[in-house]
Amino acid sequence: MTRSNTTAGPDSMITAVGTYLPPWGAARRRTPGLDEDAVTLCVAAGLAALRSVDPADVGRVVLVSRDLPLIEGSNSAAVLAGLGLRADTEICEVIGGAPAVLDALTGAAPGTLVIGADTSPAGAAAAYCGTSGAALTASGRITRSMPVVTRDAFGRRADYADPRLVRVRGLGASLDQLDRSVPIAAAAGLAGRDAKSVCATEPRDLPTEGPSAALFALATLAELGRPAGQMQRLLAVEQATLGLADLGPGEINVQRDERAPRPVPSGTTAPGSEMSISLAAYERAFDAKLRLVAARCRRCGTLAYPHRYRCLGCGSEDPTDAVALPRDAEIYTLSTIHVPVPGLVSPYTIVVAELGDSGVRVTVRLTGAAAGSVGIGDRGRLVFRLVAVRSGVPDYGYAFLPDDDTEVTA
Amino acid sequence: MRRVAMVGAGMTQFGELFHLGIKDMLPMAVGEAVASVDKGFDRGDIGAAWFGELVSTDGFASGILADSCGLLDIPVSHLENACATGNDAVRHGVMAIASGMYDVVLVVGADKVRETSTRTTFWDWMGMTRDSAWDFPLGLVAPANFALHVNRYLHESPATREHMAMVAVKNHRHGVSNPKAQLRFEITIEQVLNAPMVVEPFGLFDCTPQSDGAAAVILVAEDVVDRYTDRPVWVRGVGLGVDRVMHAHKRDMTTFPPTVKAAKQAYAMAGVGPGDIDVAECHDCFTGVELINYEDLGFCERFGAHKLVEAGETSVGGRIPVNPSGGLKAKGHPPGATGVAQCVELFEQLRGDASNQVDGARVALAHNIGGPTAVSAVTILGTARGG
Repeated sequence: MTRSNTTAGPDSMITAVGTYLPPWGAARRRTPGLDEDAVTLCVAAGLAALRSVDPADVGRVVLVSRDLPLIEGSNSAAVLAGLGLRADTEICEVIGGAPAVLDALTGAAPGTLVIGADTSPAGAAAAYCGTSGAALTASGRITRSMPVVTRDAFGRRADYADPRLVRVRGLGASLDQLDRSVPIAAAAGLAGRDAKSVCATEPRDLPTEGPSAALFALATLAELGRPAGQMQRLLAVEQATLGLADLGPGEINVQRDERAPRPVPSGTTAPGSEMSISLAAYERAFDAKLRLVAARCRRCGTLAYPHRYRCLGCGSEDPTDAVALPRDAEIYTLSTIHVPVPGLVSPYTIVVAELGDSGVRVTVRLTGAAAGSVGIGDRGRLVFRLVAVRSGVPDYGYAFLPDDDTEVTA
Repeated sequence: MRRVAMVGAGMTQFGELFHLGIKDMLPMAVGEAVASVDKGFDRGDIGAAWFGELVSTDGFASGILADSCGLLDIPVSHLENACATGNDAVRHGVMAIASGMYDVVLVVGADKVRETSTRTTFWDWMGMTRDSAWDFPLGLVAPANFALHVNRYLHESPATREHMAMVAVKNHRHGVSNPKAQLRFEITIEQVLNAPMVVEPFGLFDCTPQSDGAAAVILVAEDVVDRYTDRPVWVRGVGLGVDRVMHAHKRDMTTFPPTVKAAKQAYAMAGVGPGDIDVAECHDCFTGVELINYEDLGFCERFGAHKLVEAGETSVGGRIPVNPSGGLKAKGHPPGATGVAQCVELFEQLRGDASNQVDGARVALAHNIGGPTAVSAVTILGTARGG
């Protein structure tokens, strides 16, 4: 019935954990920006986890979410591009909650990046399983049905609205079937009151309740400064489905990409036809646009972004080399659009920003700050965001995130 | 090269001409141009016609001009060069005559911006001038293209939003006496500064209205000019300049290099300099753009435009009146028609017939800038035949 009885594979080692929270909403209940979806959240969390990891070591990526934007079409290609991982990296999209994340982690081979993303409340976190860090061992698993909330393939949601039923016959009845000899140090996927009832010590508030909650819990445990030599038990819950895992001793590098929350800006939308897309143009631009790669002229060294047939500097039409662009950016000029624009939410700010000392400028939208709140000369960095949804196709690229003194440091 | 004269010019009212189709507006403008020819004009003399239209309304553009204006027996070509379409169409007419190929050419410009709901046409118009994968999905609407320039300009130069407002006040004042103008009312600096923001730094009164309209000019070779008039206006110079299309590739956004290039060509061809210009119609789609135009056209030194407008030097009565017609700001801006209509205004100015006459005007300049600020056309007209 429980995994600990039936499997005894090698422990996976959690080397690094990264977290990301959108800056909008309340402290523990964030809202995704208009330019964010589960794909961009995955990329932000994944990049945080990989800050201390050589990308060449990543051999497999597992995305766990119930909010991925596309059922058909490719979320994975955008995630790999945003993470800067090779297109031949093994990747799978798992529909699941916090217990599915524990499954992915405890069974992970070295070189696996597991990412969980949620859009309501919004947040994402990722763990890189390497050859060092802290061991994570599965210690219990049960899958039962208590579908108090359902969402079908068309996004239609139904809520049975009986919290006592799910508490008693969902969580409670499932817990009764698991090994309870070890106290639970952290519970993911439970609201505050329920978390308190199952945790041995005062539970830490987690910002999300879906798959990413298991990874936020891992980050919290790793940061707590665990007693030497002691393992800690983690409970992951989704309705009546539970997973247990034990985190052994060892250092985990935790990187948080989290800013102080601010009110969601108000905006107006204009009715009217939405933006069309040329998928031929989309495909030609994909790598340069999602991987932020410029073309360097082999003759004169001039960088062109986007890549072009004829060199901006010397007119050479010889092949070029792909070069990653710096992401630190400074605003050269900008404008804030207040007038309603069909398919977009106004106001929004467009900036022309210069990237590092590359001499390359990009025209991108402002993100993570209220429209009009930045000026010429302000500094920041480019981050992976949703530029638009065009004819049903999420169109990803980069946006300018201004520097902010509310960054949470690990 | 043969010298080229303008012997007739006419235009429709500019405005929201919901009651007129493109097939009504074209013959109206052509008819007024024909009627303005002093010694009379037989349409059978026209050797070829050029039609500048940014967005085709009711289909096949050159066919519609030929069909609606009775020009079925001559070559008719459609030309599109963003907001520089009008003055570029004039330039094509000039080349056709100067080359010796035709003696008489009709140049028409028109657009029917208000033919469809702004909501449905919005992305269609955007898609024409933005890269599909890169700039288009950002929502880089037309005012934003110019706002990116003007914000940087305000950052580097002493000019302020008040100076921009002075341009709006001046052009509205100029437009009051123009019976063809769309917005014939005066406004105050306070109204401009307090108007709702459209695209920073442009408030509502910093922006041109959306307009329908058509304009036409008749160009003839020097050899035949006496048949039509004793007081022709000579096309002394034409120029067209371009620039990189994406804003990220423009190194200095406080200037429009296409204007500098087009003006340089036109001045050289005309054998005149900025100091010789008595009156100008320049592309004031947004107020701050007119300030940058002063510098790019050489009317003042770099970052000196604010002084010109402060001192009233570009008002009628000043040293170099700009946009006596009201400009795009008050007269209106049907893109294909705009440049041609500038020439209509300057034709009247140079013949002393303008509704807002600049006394003693002898040399005049028309200017367009458009297409994500990547194309400009300049035309220089004069009362003297030139060298």
